[in-house]
Amino acid sequence: MASRKKVLLKVIILGDSGVGKTSLMNQYVAKKFSNQYKATIGADFLTKEVMVDDRLVTMQIWDTAGQERFQSLGVAFYRGADGCVLVFDVTMPNTFRSLDSWRDEFLIQASPRDPENFPFVVIGNKIDLENRAVSARRAQGWCHSKGDIPYFETSAKEAINVEQAFQAVAKNAMAQESDVELCSDFPDPIKLKDDQAKPRENCAC
Amino acid sequence: MATEIREAEQNASVSDSDSGQSDFIETNEIPGKSSNTLLVANDSFEDLSYAELNNTIVASPMGTINSLVKKKAKRSLSLPEREHVEDTVSESEVDDSEVETSEICDDSQVDMIEARVTELSLQETTSQTADAQIPHLMTNTDTDYVNSPEWKRQKKHIFILSESGKPIYSRHGNEDKLVTIMGVMQALVSFVADSNKDTLRSIVAGDHKFVFMTRDHLTFVGVTRGKESTQQMFLQLTYMYNQVISILTHSTLTRIFKQHRNYDLRRPLSGAEKFFDNLLNLMDVEPGLLLTSVRCLPLDSNVRDIVSQTIAQHAKVKDLVFALIIAQNQLVAVVRMKKYYLHPMDLHLILNLINASESFKAAESWTPICLPKFDAAGFLQAHVSYLDEECQTCLLLLSVDIEAFYTLSECKAKIQERLIKYNALAAINNSLKRNSYSIQQCSISDLRHFLYKSRSTAQYTSPELEAPYNTKEEKERLFGLYYYLHDRIHTSGRTLKILFHVGAYETLLGWVTTGFELYAVFGPLVTKMSAIHAVNKLLRWIKKEEDRLFILSSVTF
Repeated sequence: MASRKKVLLKVIILGDSGVGKTSLMNQYVAKKFSNQYKATIGADFLTKEVMVDDRLVTMQIWDTAGQERFQSLGVAFYRGADGCVLVFDVTMPNTFRSLDSWRDEFLIQASPRDPENFPFVVIGNKIDLENRAVSARRAQGWCHSKGDIPYFETSAKEAINVEQAFQAVAKNAMAQESDVELCSDFPDPIKLKDDQAKPRENCAC
Repeated sequence: MATEIREAEQNASVSDSDSGQSDFIETNEIPGKSSNTLLVANDSFEDLSYAELNNTIVASPMGTINSLVKKKAKRSLSLPEREHVEDTVSESEVDDSEVETSEICDDSQVDMIEARVTELSLQETTSQTADAQIPHLMTNTDTDYVNSPEWKRQKKHIFILSESGKPIYSRHGNEDKLVTIMGVMQALVSFVADSNKDTLRSIVAGDHKFVFMTRDHLTFVGVTRGKESTQQMFLQLTYMYNQVISILTHSTLTRIFKQHRNYDLRRPLSGAEKFFDNLLNLMDVEPGLLLTSVRCLPLDSNVRDIVSQTIAQHAKVKDLVFALIIAQNQLVAVVRMKKYYLHPMDLHLILNLINASESFKAAESWTPICLPKFDAAGFLQAHVSYLDEECQTCLLLLSVDIEAFYTLSECKAKIQERLIKYNALAAINNSLKRNSYSIQQCSISDLRHFLYKSRSTAQYTSPELEAPYNTKEEKERLFGLYYYLHDRIHTSGRTLKILFHVGAYETLLGWVTTGFELYAVFGPLVTKMSAIHAVNKLLRWIKKEEDRLFILSSVTF
């Protein structure tokens, strides 16, 4: 009962290289933006505490490498994730087209219990740029077809909508999390069998 | 102090001898030996192999990385010094680092492993570099906390995390504040497991040793700059794993993660932090955990017989598996059901349960406890009560019947009444007041302290800690010497029978036979001959006292 105050959510960010995953995370966690591009090698971790429906939630954000040559961590990332943020660049149509494979890859690797209702959020980033190439309508259409994934258009640079997008992930992940209560049935009582413990033999644990 | 010791050990003359065996043995009688054992005694430290733990992981053709030793790597994977955070790691610095694998594999494999480890460590530095370039980029409390001198100064860290990298327990600091570093640890473990189909066991960086153990969807990480060897750390992590099982049972633990891989295990473990904390503190002061054996309260054998017989007579109820009396972490008596034996590692969990809970002192209690070596799948029910006013002598009745509380409560009342009547409780209290025994009683000059384990009974004895080992620092140093001696003797693949080691402040003699393990600490000037003479004298003394120091008979219901 007492433990209800502590909630930890593992959230991973996926998307092609250069769409702004790290920038989004840094904007969200530290309210900072840098124009310099540095490829993420392997993984980056940041933590942020947020309030969701009056509960304090610690978000453990796993920022992944978009560049294939740095994607060395694979399954480790996806394992046991509570939420997933899919990011594309609204000026680069190919990054939008990749969302399908990122989503599939995630569902295969993470194999969540209820893939249809897994808490995804899609972010179309870099809306501050002039040369937009993916319309909001097109993105929303895709999200709708994948089971009404919430869609956010953000600018990590201008700090537009970033907070809201992450808040949505947290909220949806929390909704799933409350479904998951430990089945509190008592373990089977030990049955004493004559052959159970022979002298000087310990069990295989 | 620490550096002086290190130098001393380098200059010390160490002789490992097998041939000296015949000079050693003067008696065929092994003190504390009994064929009538009450504890499971066939486990030795060497049995605790890595292999049995990794049966789920397919062994890779390139062999296992037993230890990745990064020498000269200025940037350790965690706990970086403040100064180091500021400078950036260049490629050349990484080249300097040596990666050694203790198993033989060809150069290309080493290179590959090296490259990957470097990649990982580089990753860490990338974020730090960013930190330096963009001030306050990562101002979250997490990073600040991990960099706090107080946290970094801790001698030994123990972490438990889930397979998904979620924190479950940290010995020092709130695990809530260590979410980031736990993610890094899980990334390291998973990286080796996923990409190499291998197991990360340990990393040595500077003074620090990082030991990893993955079992049942949980990752246990120990970080120490103490004297413990990798394998000794591994044993400590195994105790931590057993403690988790003891609270949840193995079947519940596996079921939880089978159903919800993202499960936050802190929930069912909430309130159990004190057991982990206490167990770790116990490991720092109680050699029994290292020796996987227990210490008995010194007691006249006829008094002990009265205690055991009283229990056997008055607790003869169906489904009662074990009945034991414990006083100040020492075993007074055990009565067991025929065919069932208590394992010393399980007994340490029981000792820890009693030790860590104040609430048992208030009233008779009924608590579930899983003993992993006995049966990891289910709970035994423990009736716990203190027999004396001072709450020193504790009676535990372990049953498989969940409804047995009132029956066992009656048994307790009868046992208590009889033990008072026969003055046995008073005898126990007297023994507790006498503080075990002084090394003086052995009357062997220059012998300062010793640990003696009788292997057949999984029990050990040792005298009180006296000067010079009466301060916290000196106690710790003595413990470090035992760690060293124990490790030198038991290093897997090259176990020794006898080790004579001359250090700056003391001379150590370790001697292991099929019947016993003896670790003796002498003054620094003792010669090899006189040390041999002394241990023989000591063995004769222990033999003389064995009825008092060990439980040699096994009573059953």
